[in-house]
Amino acid sequence: MLTATGSCLPLAVYFGVAVAPPLRPGSVSFSSSSSPSCPSSPGRASDFWLEVRVASGLPSALAAVLRVAADHLQQPSGMSFLSRSEYDRGVNTFSPEGRLFQVEYAIEAIKLGSTAIGIRTKEGVVLVVEKRLTSPLIDPSTIEKIYEIDEHMGCAMSGLTADARTLIDHARVEAQGHWFTYNERMPVESNVHSIADLALDFADNKGKKRVMSRPFGVALLVGGYDPTDGPVLFNTDPSGTFTKYQAASIGSAQEGSTNLLQEQYNKDMTLKEAETLALTTLRSVMEEKLNAVNIEVAAIPATTKKFRIYPKEELEEIIKQLPAPTLPTLQSAAAGAS
Amino acid sequence: MAMAAIDTSFLNDSSGLAKEEAPAHSQMGLRLGDLQTLAMAPVASPSTFCVDMKASGEAPGLMDFKHGTTTLGFVFQGGIIIAVDSRASMGSYIGSQTVKKVIEINDFLLGTMAGGAADCSYWERHLAQMCRMYELRHKERISVAAASKLLCNIFFNYRGRGLSCGTMVAGWDKHGPSLYMVDDRGDRFKGQRFSVGSGSTFAYGVLDTGYKYDLSVEDAVELGRRAIYHATHRDGASGGVVRVYHVHEKGWTKVIAGEDVNELHYMYAAQKGMTGIE
Repeated sequence: MLTATGSCLPLAVYFGVAVAPPLRPGSVSFSSSSSPSCPSSPGRASDFWLEVRVASGLPSALAAVLRVAADHLQQPSGMSFLSRSEYDRGVNTFSPEGRLFQVEYAIEAIKLGSTAIGIRTKEGVVLVVEKRLTSPLIDPSTIEKIYEIDEHMGCAMSGLTADARTLIDHARVEAQGHWFTYNERMPVESNVHSIADLALDFADNKGKKRVMSRPFGVALLVGGYDPTDGPVLFNTDPSGTFTKYQAASIGSAQEGSTNLLQEQYNKDMTLKEAETLALTTLRSVMEEKLNAVNIEVAAIPATTKKFRIYPKEELEEIIKQLPAPTLPTLQSAAAGAS
Repeated sequence: MAMAAIDTSFLNDSSGLAKEEAPAHSQMGLRLGDLQTLAMAPVASPSTFCVDMKASGEAPGLMDFKHGTTTLGFVFQGGIIIAVDSRASMGSYIGSQTVKKVIEINDFLLGTMAGGAADCSYWERHLAQMCRMYELRHKERISVAAASKLLCNIFFNYRGRGLSCGTMVAGWDKHGPSLYMVDDRGDRFKGQRFSVGSGSTFAYGVLDTGYKYDLSVEDAVELGRRAIYHATHRDGASGGVVRVYHVHEKGWTKVIAGEDVNELHYMYAAQKGMTGIE
């Protein structure tokens, strides 16, 4: 599986103090230019480290040593700069270290997206996403991040919305095609498989018309009620990898919220408890105050086996019943990371 | 158009059949993925092969489909009644007495089948798929007018290529109930009363006699059942059981799952003080 570079947490853990990850001078690549994996916003584990670095006022010599070490960690081969600028152009050319940079950058694009969380329990699957309303003039109803794929499955997205729409339309067609051919609801894994197939179906080689000429800059959390496996949750990413999860998170606060989920998930949760966990987790990583307008929630309960997006009134009711935050967000995020 | 003789030697070797692209419009911009292509006869004009063969006189009976069926539908104050028989016949041979001729497209749409069972069920399932995609993409149920038009456009695209379908599309949308008749020639009619199939003339007789808009649901169901029964009695290609559906504001309900027409025969005879065997 391809993993992202420029990830701040591993470095931070390694040094005990923080190092802002993309420090390579002169590098113009996407992940290095504006540190997209650590957007400067309060309340995220990554930013916590960034602030510690600034606050501790490391001597510049020491910082330089750390910088070299950081480079070395990120590029084990040591031939980072040249190879990167040469091999990050083609979407279907491996670098000598065996990496596909464009795919990795696409994975980076997801870290710019809003956070989405999915939790699977025996009683069903719940999907929760943050809607970023960048302007008060936006009509919130037009920002959609949770989609129905078929009556028994749906997904939450993070990354480029337009790319998600292409993938989801494909998933819907596949689900209907399966019903037409086999007269049964499509197994969730088969559907996720078809999404993953399309995710890698980019570049225009041999004149075959492709949907995309670049990797899809989107990750999906696909939840559904499988005819044989019951409630299931999958995560797909631009590399075409798909993984089954008990609880997963994608988007800008992926690391912080994944830590929280790891601490608090247990497989015997009720769907209601999962719903609460998903929402409290989202609340602790969101910049805005969580309300019925800036989130979306959907569930596939095992009782009905039907995907359903919660209407606004129901969201208001659920938010009212959420437990009060227990820990300051920054602290809990830091505790989760160390 | 008419040809004296068409070289049909390819019939002995099917490897010569050409694959033809699905008609360009058959996907209606719905991007449903690859449609299956039809195998076409390797003749000068493959798309009119069936029509040309018939005109040549070499294949008597070609395209003369026996719509061995009775189906009917009518609009009344309580919505729409759909009533059908259940016999599948191949000429004088009765293939089945338990066919389901009402296709449940979704919770608010029904289709009926008359003519080729495979053609009808295939394209109406295809229609169901398109209606579902419409629903997912537009977050709104498709109208009956649009659904019937999708089916009608498919039939028009395959016109003259041997499809055999006489269908009714009935449903309830935001404009209320509506009933359409769509057939393999690409015809599409909106109406208050339709009957399709070999027994349709008999069914029309009963239907037109007993129909009025103000019928109660109970009376409307009885009218549908009676019309199908009478058609099965006089038409040898119709029979089996009567099935009746009621389309209303909340969708459709199956009112009669299957009532044997033989039992109905004696029941209706008894109502007239007769034994039913005279």
